[in-house]
Amino acid sequence: MNVEELVRDCLRQQAAEEPSAGPGFADRVLGARRRRRTRRLASVASATAAVVAVAVAVPLLDSGKDDVRPSGVLDSKEIHAHPDQSPPRDLISAGNVALAAYYTAKIVKKTDDVGVSARSYWLLDPETGRYRKTTKWSYVAVAPGMRTAAVLEQNLPTRRIGLLDLATGKVERWIPVDRGVGGLAFSRDGRKLVATTYHDNPDLRDKQPMEPSGFLWVPRFGKSSRTGFLVLDVASGKGSWAGVPADRDINARQDFAFSRDGRLVYAAVVGGHDGLQQFYDLAGREVAAPANEKYLRSDVAARLSPNGRLAAVGLTKERPDTSYSEIVDPRTGKRITLVRGAELLAWVDDKRLIAYERAPGSGEYRPMLVLVTIGSDKFVQLSGPHAPAKDFSRQDWQPIFAER
Amino acid sequence: MDAEAQESFREFVANRSSALLKTAVLLSGGDRHAAEDLLQNALIKAAGRWHRIDEPEAYVRQILYRQQVSRWRLKWPRRELSVAEPPEASPDADALSAAELRVVMRGALARLTARQRTVLVLRYFEDLPEADVARLLGCSVGTVRSTTHRSLARLRALAPELAALGRGDGAQPRSRDFSPVEVRP
Repeated sequence: MNVEELVRDCLRQQAAEEPSAGPGFADRVLGARRRRRTRRLASVASATAAVVAVAVAVPLLDSGKDDVRPSGVLDSKEIHAHPDQSPPRDLISAGNVALAAYYTAKIVKKTDDVGVSARSYWLLDPETGRYRKTTKWSYVAVAPGMRTAAVLEQNLPTRRIGLLDLATGKVERWIPVDRGVGGLAFSRDGRKLVATTYHDNPDLRDKQPMEPSGFLWVPRFGKSSRTGFLVLDVASGKGSWAGVPADRDINARQDFAFSRDGRLVYAAVVGGHDGLQQFYDLAGREVAAPANEKYLRSDVAARLSPNGRLAAVGLTKERPDTSYSEIVDPRTGKRITLVRGAELLAWVDDKRLIAYERAPGSGEYRPMLVLVTIGSDKFVQLSGPHAPAKDFSRQDWQPIFAER
Repeated sequence: MDAEAQESFREFVANRSSALLKTAVLLSGGDRHAAEDLLQNALIKAAGRWHRIDEPEAYVRQILYRQQVSRWRLKWPRRELSVAEPPEASPDADALSAAELRVVMRGALARLTARQRTVLVLRYFEDLPEADVARLLGCSVGTVRSTTHRSLARLRALAPELAALGRGDGAQPRSRDFSPVEVRP
């Protein structure tokens, strides 16, 4: 370690040790501001009429009684933002939701004509609050609580699912499965896992020549090897498989996820417009969407608010450097309000969401993580914007959020 | 400030004050009270023009940095800081654990001038490029570069245990320099 590294290390550790400002800091600032303004008024008055100034100033100087001193308790609303970091190096979080991990992907050539879009993950190290790279896993799903992640080894599809302890970085338990698994998702309570099963690696890409020269690596749309899904009880590792035949209207990787109540699963389908989704019961039969998820979109990750009364849907309005997405009533699909953000990624609480907003400027769309609040046009920038895309065979960092 | 602006200001402070305070503590060399004063002053200034600020966080941070630097320029009396370790001759870096090195470094950082510390915080905590530091502090890139260089040299002088770090030249440990740091006319 050199002196620069030690300075960096020391400053970061010192910052991490500092307790939060605590609630009431705004009151303290506003109280101090009022007192200063009062003093300024008083001193101006004293220059012109000293007697009047004293008479006016005394009661005014007594203002600021509502000055609430910080109590020093941990502020649960605390936000960790790093607007200068893309990809993030240090914890990004707001309230109970944190960026638990992120991944990037690049094409790794298997043969001359076939490649695999391989992901590298950066997992949050709870000890240091920093993201640590791992290339051990081909797929990672973080459980609510951020203590455990379900992982798949390289070379999909795999025949076992690891339960990774995020504190130690070690696999605590392997769940063997009798079908090849390529994707994972936890239920909202973290007790169940849905593992999407595939015959072949869902991340394969075919080399396609491009006129007049060059080539592209294209995913196998319409030729998915998806076979169905396994629903597993995390505690016992037991579960059952349901077959869902792949049709032409799905992407090569089209993973299943649980419905809000965990009684159904759904997956995106490609059709007349973006964001379509098809629900299935746990036996793999197609069913209608539950009443509260009928108007949700498969391409808007935030879905229902914690209290279930608001549904985050897609981008509806754009002005230069400013995007708005829609919040609707999940039962009727009617608009309740608009909120800042081009893509709503995760609800923080019933008023705030983490979203992507485009970085200012007229160039290409470069999303950055922001915290948006219903009823406010302002946002808090949480991360730096994605770098301009130079190479289409690489995917810039993709966030994975989890409840803390 | 109308009710709506106050609400939005409160929301910003609730969301961001902890992170801003961390920076302020580093700028103040670990003095929490000075840091709270620094942040409070910056927020009061921001509250005064809340309607006109597009990016409150960037604005408040800029005030924090500049205020800290001008505090030094204005020759405000320096607050006495308690030093954690006794001023005895210390072993060199090899003999110290990482935790001990951090303690030594923290003490040395606290004894830099406000300007030196601000430049190091911007370069190594906020990870800003030299050009951005120059823009924030209203000085040239050359000044940022030379201040960084001098600050690191000063750290080595303040804590000789650090002198051998990253050099591998086996520099002889000297007794630590406990002379006052911010010497002014």
